[in-house]
Amino acid sequence: MMNMLIGIDVGGTFTDGALFSDASVVHSVKHPTDENDLAATLLGVLDELLKHAETKGVRRIVLSTTLVTNLLATGKGERTALLLLPGSGMPFSAYSISPDTYFLKGGIDFRGRQIEPTDKKEIEEALRQIEKTGIERVAVAGKFSNRNDSHEKLVMEMIKDLYPHMDVCISNEIAGRLNFPRRAVTCYYTAMTIRQWNAFADGIEAAVRGRVPGCELHILKADGGTTTLEASRRRPCETVFSGPAASAMGTVALNREPLNCVSVDIGGTTSDVCLLIDGQPLYASKGALIGGHLTHIHSFAVNSVAIGGDSAVYEESGELRVGPMRNGVAACFGGASPAVTDAFNILEDLKLGDIQASRTKLEIVAGRLNLQLEDICRKVADIVTEKLKESIVYMFSQWESEPAYKVWEVVHQRKFVLHHVIGIGAAAPAIVPMLAKKLGVTHILHRYSPVANALGAALARPTLAVEVHVDTQRRAYTASPGGLSGPVEDRNYQMKDARKLAERLLREISGERGLSAYADDARVYLEEQFNVIRGYQQTGKLFDVGIQIAPGFIHEYKGVEQ
Amino acid sequence: MKPTGVIFFPAFDWAISPTHPEREERLLYTRDQLFEEGIMDMPEVREYHPRLATAKEVSRVHFCVPDVESRVTQAHMVSAGCAMVMADSFMQKEVKNAFAIIRPPGHHAMTVVHGNRGFCDINNEAVMVEYLRRTYGIKRLAIVDTDVHHGDGSQEIFWHDPDVLFISFHQDGRTLYPGSGFTDELGGPLAYGTTINIPMAPKTTDTGIHYIMDNLVLPILEEFKPELVINSAGQDNHYSDPLANMSFTAQGYAVLNQKLRPDIAVLEGGYSVETALPYINMGIIMAMAGIDFSNLREPDYNPSRFKESPGNMDYIRALIDRQLENFRGREAVVEANRKKGREFDSYSRSIFYDTNYLQEEQRLDLRMCPDCCGFRRISSSCVHASGRQYSIYGICLPMACCPTCGERARSDYDEMKKKAGYNYIYLQDRVRDEYRTFDCGSAEETVL
Repeated sequence: MMNMLIGIDVGGTFTDGALFSDASVVHSVKHPTDENDLAATLLGVLDELLKHAETKGVRRIVLSTTLVTNLLATGKGERTALLLLPGSGMPFSAYSISPDTYFLKGGIDFRGRQIEPTDKKEIEEALRQIEKTGIERVAVAGKFSNRNDSHEKLVMEMIKDLYPHMDVCISNEIAGRLNFPRRAVTCYYTAMTIRQWNAFADGIEAAVRGRVPGCELHILKADGGTTTLEASRRRPCETVFSGPAASAMGTVALNREPLNCVSVDIGGTTSDVCLLIDGQPLYASKGALIGGHLTHIHSFAVNSVAIGGDSAVYEESGELRVGPMRNGVAACFGGASPAVTDAFNILEDLKLGDIQASRTKLEIVAGRLNLQLEDICRKVADIVTEKLKESIVYMFSQWESEPAYKVWEVVHQRKFVLHHVIGIGAAAPAIVPMLAKKLGVTHILHRYSPVANALGAALARPTLAVEVHVDTQRRAYTASPGGLSGPVEDRNYQMKDARKLAERLLREISGERGLSAYADDARVYLEEQFNVIRGYQQTGKLFDVGIQIAPGFIHEYKGVEQ
Repeated sequence: MKPTGVIFFPAFDWAISPTHPEREERLLYTRDQLFEEGIMDMPEVREYHPRLATAKEVSRVHFCVPDVESRVTQAHMVSAGCAMVMADSFMQKEVKNAFAIIRPPGHHAMTVVHGNRGFCDINNEAVMVEYLRRTYGIKRLAIVDTDVHHGDGSQEIFWHDPDVLFISFHQDGRTLYPGSGFTDELGGPLAYGTTINIPMAPKTTDTGIHYIMDNLVLPILEEFKPELVINSAGQDNHYSDPLANMSFTAQGYAVLNQKLRPDIAVLEGGYSVETALPYINMGIIMAMAGIDFSNLREPDYNPSRFKESPGNMDYIRALIDRQLENFRGREAVVEANRKKGREFDSYSRSIFYDTNYLQEEQRLDLRMCPDCCGFRRISSSCVHASGRQYSIYGICLPMACCPTCGERARSDYDEMKKKAGYNYIYLQDRVRDEYRTFDCGSAEETVL
């Protein structure tokens, strides 16, 4: 028997779990989520799955949780001070991130040169203030720290020296891309959640080790890849929005053709729309938006529409209304009032649950509006499919109108040509066929689509992206993640050398994070080279290389049994 | 409050030559600065996607010899396209104002295009102006060119257009390319006084330029009452620019834009890629978007470094008086010119293309129409970089011309097609929005 894989997706309302082996789902579980005790919910689902597995056979468990998302959304993270070194540029008032923000002197430019030195006295004074307020978490972020993080490191060392009880994060170690406000926010959120995440991780790790010794334990990230629980301890923020990521990866796992698709995950009151370009889910170009701030967290572009299978159908001032609220489940499943699913049930003769209940409850609303049952069902269907279509068309146009910085990109204008609509979620079979008809394409409903999220978690492989910036004039490189830097000695440095450097760093980091098995799957996704010319003479070269283990599936996954 | 529209098109895959000032690196550090500041994420800013200009849009302004496709690089087509994206965003009221941070530049490109002049193939602002007129019915516009080099291309294109006020600030033409832009260059006989040149002494500072803004440019704009103000936003007045000798700062540029309040700004030159461009571009966006720019400065900025000399201030004051008088007396001059009774006003000139080392010979006629601004006929010849000589004849019919000029221009075009001695005959009929090219060799006509 093949080793078993487990995926558990803790959602806002329900927690789904799937046990996968030999190309099929052996068992799946759905439990209500207890927001106050996520660990208990998780373990409850795990225990039920383990009953159906031979304990020794479970090789890997992947968890997707809402812990960090919830901490940030509800403002229950710990009070955290933010030390900013913005130098010249935007006004300080542009950085309204933390109520406990301290501005420090110190400026770096885009080449990593110091423009303005730091002021130790000023730093000491800020730290004294922080200590006085009783804050124990500190995030430090400097503009262009990704090109030179000596200022951030100096502040970190001072904190470690003067106040060893404080936890400190510096932005360049968390996220090395350009965009100072996003780096500052990501670092701030990391500092804010790191202790609670670690406490949660300790509990889960002990519980899992007790039940399934020797099993790999991974966490699903927003980018649809996994990371080991151990590696997640320094970057808890990467675990946000893993729910939509689980469902996107599940969609891809069930539909592995490289086509342009739109996946519609229809839940109770909302539907998540996601684009797949050549079979790959589309990322949010600006990073995840958390608490009103953009971050450097790579996450899928998901558009939520306030309509789902349970959205109520009712009459209000002589008009037909659909949603956005929900009055329990649809009538056919025993609900007290009619919902979207009931209308589709009749229209498409889906024979879902008690179709007579759908009919009876909808006839009451139809009566109030002086409409035939058939007409009201058609109207509901129109409203629902039109809203979803609007959202899909909007996502196409967003993708097509992303900024472009090269002539080639403009000449070869993107155009989204849709092939399929993929339905996910319990209400998808009711709504998706008609939506696809409206868009003029075919639809796909997989038998495993109700557990696609848990399956996506179970099968996702680790991801890792490394970006290297080489400045041969300054004879130095910087790299992310982790705030790496080093010298560049070779005077005849070329793109192939920069690529080699990126590959080497990716291997090293993969090793540290326990992802070595996937390092061979890494592909270069960014290559830029600029000549530095001063007075008609070349004085150096700048290289940017990005290499990544992209989202995908573990090696042993070869598809599901048809 | 509506945001400021920004399009950032650095053309990272295009250069005139590897070490040329117009090379891939030019907006690299500006990219780094804009991205690192996160200004595109601010609610005050909305970023747009570039597009290609069409051959027809370019033909509204230029006679590209032999045609648009073979004469104009794709990079220039995107640059002009970007300017029009900004025009759309502004006219459709999606934004309160708009800034195209684009390369390659355009303000040295003239009506006839045989090659690249001053890094420009086609004139981005002029293509945008004719697009605004055609698409949105805008009639009266002002272009304020704040590039350190005289905007000789824009001046030439709008020389006979009384509805476009062209004002150019620049370093004195006796000391810098292209060597024109003196105070006596005031526009054609029927558009006299709507071209205003402000040649400045080398080393002029923020103080001097702001004084000119307050006392000459803003009053003239107030009197001209344009429907739209365009800033041809070159950034090479900066103290660190390697190709010029002025003493302007990033703060100075931001304040200038705060005073001018352009509806649309379009980047032109500026070649101090590290010390100036990242900061000036930030400054202009911030000024246009209403973001406080007091914390913006160059790494080596020192507020006490540049002091305006009393002698230069005297020169500036005299310059302002002269140009105010020229501007305010313009209608009388145009009236007098009209009464001279000649049917055509003719002149000849040579035009040098520095990038390609070409010399063009031109002869121009302007119909001295009693009812409108007249139409132009241009005969031009030039030996191209390929070694081939081209002789062309082009007729430009402005949108605002009278029916008599329209008929005359079209019949002149038909007459010219029968004549020998030219390779191509062009008709730029902006009234009908129709652009004809007659290939005298094959006797084939194309219409855009």
